[in-house]
Amino acid sequence: MTTPLPERYIAATVKYLSPELQAEVRPELHASIADAVEAQVAQGEDYETAERNVLTELGDPAVLAASYSDRTLQLIGPRYYLSWWCLLKRLLLIVPAAVLGVVAFAQLLAGGDLGDIIGGSIGAAVTAGLHVCFWVTLVFAILERSDADTGITWDVDQLPEPRQQDPGRLDLIASLVFLGLMILVVLWDQIPGFIRIGDQSIPILSPALWPWAMLGLLGIIGLEIGFAILLYVKRQWNATLAIINTVLSVLFFSWVISLLVRGELFSEMFLELAVDNAVSGDSFYTIAVIFGLSVGIICVWDIIDGWVKTYRVGASDAAEQQPAATQ
Amino acid sequence: MVEAFEPHIQELRRGTVVLACLQLLRTPGYGYGLLEDLQRAGFVTEANTLYPLLRRLEKQGHLTSHWDTGESRPRKFYQTSKRGLGLAEAMHSEWLALSKSVDALGDDPLTNEEK
Repeated sequence: MTTPLPERYIAATVKYLSPELQAEVRPELHASIADAVEAQVAQGEDYETAERNVLTELGDPAVLAASYSDRTLQLIGPRYYLSWWCLLKRLLLIVPAAVLGVVAFAQLLAGGDLGDIIGGSIGAAVTAGLHVCFWVTLVFAILERSDADTGITWDVDQLPEPRQQDPGRLDLIASLVFLGLMILVVLWDQIPGFIRIGDQSIPILSPALWPWAMLGLLGIIGLEIGFAILLYVKRQWNATLAIINTVLSVLFFSWVISLLVRGELFSEMFLELAVDNAVSGDSFYTIAVIFGLSVGIICVWDIIDGWVKTYRVGASDAAEQQPAATQ
Repeated sequence: MVEAFEPHIQELRRGTVVLACLQLLRTPGYGYGLLEDLQRAGFVTEANTLYPLLRRLEKQGHLTSHWDTGESRPRKFYQTSKRGLGLAEAMHSEWLALSKSVDALGDDPLTNEEK
């Protein structure tokens, strides 16, 4: 004999609920359904039809269970939708393009033919895009489900000066996603490897950097993460933050340059691969210089950016005080 | 009623179910019985909104409950708590104030049109 419909309905509903809630909801729902069926039967409906009517009216058990447990029925609600969409657009503009560039360059060094280079780099860019979509959405879906309301309650004082760069939650998440990706890239390079020839994977960064230099790099990234959070908590740039930012950038720059100059940054296999593909000693030197310069430019830009933002905050504060003084 | 009005009308009704429950449950009542009482009193409510609502109100301390095993089947009876009575009072006076404000906006929209 099959289980009666109401039993099946109740089982389908409570299976979504926590054990305590199950114990509460099960007997109550049981009584409510029985009452409703009884009332319909008393009005002359036959028993089976009455059961069906009552359960149909109650609707999808999953929806009923969700409203019992106050569960969110959307992935990302209106509270976070705009932030999610804004951040996703920003990252989708940057990350896949950056990955495309890096992978194309790596493949070029690895001496793939044109088809491989185009195919490989486009594939990697698409994968990176999917990763961005997934991780950003995951972060916001978790935010949506946590009660972490702190920091997004809005008040008038938060209205930014029109030109002032307000380091907000978006910047924080952007920094965290970027730094997280960086850690992933470093680890990915060491373990599965970006460049694969046959079964052999060739790390770009030298495995000899383990453990100390590599831990140093991860440590610097960790400090950057800490800094991003500190910046978010402080809400505004100030001289201390600009100094910390400068120190971190200089640290990162020193890490790259000292290893680059000593020739310890890239793995031998990676360099051999480049030599195999007719990169002469001279062009090695040129590439190293260009690489070092690029890192330098990025670090200097980051340092200046911090100070410019600090200056702007100071300027807008002064602008706020001036009219008050003349009154 | 024009179909396009329905969502707005429902929105208007939504909060009143809470008030109606709190008022009706001054005398203890159980799920299905309350559903019928609400319908009789003119508050159209779906079972699948009412039951979770009762649980929520209980959790918030506006209702108290006990199991009555005396009758043919055991039923969970709810009753408006002291706190719930306070809420009902607040909602009721809000409703009266709103109703006054709505009236003050103008007479029947139809007669307004004719002017």
